[in-house]
Amino acid sequence: MSARIIETTNLGRRYGARVALHGLDLTVRAGQIVGIAGPNGAGKSTLLQVLAGLIRPSAGGARVFGLDPWRDRAAVMQRARFAFAPPGLWGTLTAREHVVALAAIGRSPVAAAEVDTTLALVGLLARADDRVVTFSFGMRQRLALAIALLPRPELLVLDEPAEGLDPLAVLELRAILRRLRDEHGVTLLLSSHLLLELDALVDHLVVLDQGAVLCAGAPSKLRGLRRVWLRVDDAVRAREVLATASVTCTADGDDALWLDAGADVSLITAQALLSPAGVTVHEYANRQPSLEQALLARLRAKGAQPA
Amino acid sequence: MMMTAPLLAFELKKLWRSRRPWMALAAIAFFLVLMLLGFWLYADKQTGGEAEFRYTFENESYFNGLTFTVYGFWFGFALLLPVFVTLEAAASLAGERDSGGLRLLLVRPVTRTRLFAVKWGVTMLFALALAGALLGACLLVGLVCVGFGDLTLYPGVLQMTDVYQRLPQGEALRRFLLVWPCAALLLMAPSALAMCVAAFTRSAVHAAGVALAIYLVLHVVAAVPFFQDLRPFLFTSQIGAWRELLHEDIDWARLGGEVLRALSVTCLLLGVALWRFRTGEER
Repeated sequence: MSARIIETTNLGRRYGARVALHGLDLTVRAGQIVGIAGPNGAGKSTLLQVLAGLIRPSAGGARVFGLDPWRDRAAVMQRARFAFAPPGLWGTLTAREHVVALAAIGRSPVAAAEVDTTLALVGLLARADDRVVTFSFGMRQRLALAIALLPRPELLVLDEPAEGLDPLAVLELRAILRRLRDEHGVTLLLSSHLLLELDALVDHLVVLDQGAVLCAGAPSKLRGLRRVWLRVDDAVRAREVLATASVTCTADGDDALWLDAGADVSLITAQALLSPAGVTVHEYANRQPSLEQALLARLRAKGAQPA
Repeated sequence: MMMTAPLLAFELKKLWRSRRPWMALAAIAFFLVLMLLGFWLYADKQTGGEAEFRYTFENESYFNGLTFTVYGFWFGFALLLPVFVTLEAAASLAGERDSGGLRLLLVRPVTRTRLFAVKWGVTMLFALALAGALLGACLLVGLVCVGFGDLTLYPGVLQMTDVYQRLPQGEALRRFLLVWPCAALLLMAPSALAMCVAAFTRSAVHAAGVALAIYLVLHVVAAVPFFQDLRPFLFTSQIGAWRELLHEDIDWARLGGEVLRALSVTCLLLGVALWRFRTGEER
C-alpha cells in the first residue's frame, strides 16, 4: 500500500462558537487524486488552511508527509504546493516575475526554460511579461497553477482550480493534472464545489457538510445504484401521490422525479399509483444518477433527519 | 543567506514597482518647494520686499543653504518620513495579509521569522533611502537656491541647540553624512510601531492610521510640560537625537543614550510584532 501523504485524525476547528470542522478523518495516499466537495461553509477551505499550516486545529491533528503543518510548515512546503482561491498576486509584477521569484524562495533558482515550459503549459507564455493587473480572473487562476507547479511538488493542493476557467481551459487543466499524477507521480488534493469537475478527475471523493464527512468513496460508488427516473406532466401531484404510498422521491427539475434510493418500487408499481390519480408518465428510465443528483439527495436526506 | 536573498530581492522588487517610493519622493519635492517658498516669503516680509533668494535675511553666515538643510530635514524627518515608512510597513504586512499575498508567501518553504525579518529589513532600507533622499534634496536645494556658508545654530530656534554653535561648511557637510544613518536608525522606532500594529490587523489603511495616530499623540504628549517626566520613555522624544551631530562638540554619551533608548523601544515593539506574526493565523 502506498505511503500516506496526508492524514487527519479527528480533526476539528472552531471559530468561536461556530464549528467549521468536526471529527474529520482523512487519508490521502501517494499517487491519488482526491477531491473535497461540499456546499458553501462545509469546511473545505478550513481543511486546506489547516493542511497548509496557516491555521491551527482546535481538536485532533493533521500530518502532511508525517509532519505537523503548523509547526513544520516550511519543511512541508519543500515538498507540497498549495494554490488558494482567489490567488493573492501582485498586480505590478509580471507573470514571469511571479513564477521565477516564488520558485526561488527557499530553494535554488529554476532554469528559464523550465519557467517558459510551465507558463506554456498553463497557456500564459504569450502574456508572460505582462503585468498581472491586466489579467482576467481565469488568467490569474492559471498563473496561480503555474506558481504551484514550480518546482514540481510531490503534493499539489488546489482550491477551486476550475473556478473562472472557460470550458476549454477546464479540459486542459484536467489533462495537466492527470499527467502530473500519471507521469510524475504527483499526489493531488482538489477542493471544489463543481462536482462535475471532480467526478471527471478524482479517484476518491470526500464530501463535507457542516464540517463533517457526509460520505466518501470513489465517485462511481457515491453515485449509488441505478434508480427509477420519471418525467411526468405534474411533478408536484406525482410526489403527493407517491408520498401517500410512503414512496419518497427527489425532484429533478420541474417535471421529473427520482425515486429515492431504497424505495423498493418498480416502474409498474409507480405507474399503477400515478395513473388513477391523473398523472401521466411521459418518459421513464432506470439509470444511475449523476454525482450531483446523488449528493443532493444525501444532503436533503441528512437535512430531513432529526438533529 | 542563500535562502534569504531571493526573498529579499522579491520584496525589493515589489517595493520598487509599487507607487510608494515615488509618492514619497514627490512629497519630499513638494515639501521642499513649500519650505523654500515659506522662507522666501518670510525674508521678503522682513526686508520690506527687497529679499533675494540667496542670503535672504539676517546675513549670509546665519541663514544659508546649510541652515535651510537643517530646518528642512528636521521638519521633513519628523513629519514626512514616519508617514511613508509607516505606510510601507503597514502595506508589506497588513496589506499583503488582506490581498492574499502573505498567504502566497507562506505556502513557500520559508519560516515566518525569516519572512518577518526580510519585510522589516526592506522597510529599514526604505527608511535609509528616504532619509538619504530627503537630506540630499535639502542640501542640493539649499546650496543651489539659498547659498553656501558656515552652519550657525542659535539657542531657542526649534530647540536645535542650548548654546551658540558654529560649524565650518566642510565640517558641517561631513556631519550631515553622519546624520543620515543616525536619522535612519531613529526611524526604526516609528516603523517598528507600524509593524507591531500591522501584525494585528488585516488592513494596511487601518494599521497605518493607528500607528500614525499613536505617533502623533506621543509627539504631543512629549511636548506638553506636564508630562516631562514621561519624555525619556517616549521614542518621539529621541527621534531628533541626530541634531547632536550638528554641535561643535558632539556629546557621544548623550547621543548614544538617546539612540539606545530608541533601539530599546524598537526591540520591544518588534518583539511583540514577531510574536504575533509567528503565532497569528492567516485565514
